[in-house]
Amino acid sequence: MHIEGSSRRRRSLVSLTPLIDVVFILLVFFMLATSFLDWRSIVVDVPADGGGEAGEPTAIVVRIGADGALELDGAFVRDTAALEQAVRAELAREPGRLLIVRPDDSVRLQRITQVVERVQAAGAMRMRLDRGD
Amino acid sequence: MRLPEAPRREPAENIIPLINIVFLLLIFFMLAGALTRPDVLDVRPPETQAGDPAELPDEGVILLAADGRLAFAGRELEPRALEREVADWLADGPERRLTLKADADVAADRLLDLLDLLRDAGADHLMMLTNPSER
Repeated sequence: MHIEGSSRRRRSLVSLTPLIDVVFILLVFFMLATSFLDWRSIVVDVPADGGGEAGEPTAIVVRIGADGALELDGAFVRDTAALEQAVRAELAREPGRLLIVRPDDSVRLQRITQVVERVQAAGAMRMRLDRGD
Repeated sequence: MRLPEAPRREPAENIIPLINIVFLLLIFFMLAGALTRPDVLDVRPPETQAGDPAELPDEGVILLAADGRLAFAGRELEPRALEREVADWLADGPERRLTLKADADVAADRLLDLLDLLRDAGADHLMMLTNPSER
């Protein structure tokens, strides 16, 4: 018995090359257009009208100096870790207090977020950014 | 002169594994990545270690570049125009929440100018976007 076809290995009529071209173009498109960035968010309150501690007499105030130095309620704090501990202690004594971060005008946002994430880690629920002076 | 005859042999049929791999890569990039519109301003958000995981929202994103330029809803705007646009956008839905994508190098006075503006536009708090730092 003679079986035809199985041994004949005919080349398929449809050429694969255009398909590969299109698939490559799609691949390059998706490689360039997609982003794998991971996003995080920090919730901040907008500054109060007038810029003071009006209506918030119990607020904890964190100042960031132009050189990045930190002050908590007027007292110098060595670094962000010490700030986190101090804020945690303040909040343990009296929970729910508003925290106001007052950066100097020239402080970069990177430094502000470093401070903000530490005070949020310390448990500050409400946090507001405000002017330094 | 006689050139050696170019070999007219067809390439061997080992193209199928290549297509398989390319298809796999294509599917990976389609599913794993998020297609995002490029921003009108070049903004590199600050890096943080903490923060809540967030999705990049489709609308309500304010861009603040390091040089102080502002953009909202895909257009670069002057501060006054931005305030109007943001106020309109906030007025359209009560549950709307602004997202701020600010450059890590922006100075505090520019950021606070913007926050003052947003307060005047009717916002009371907003989400600031950051990227997790690579460690």
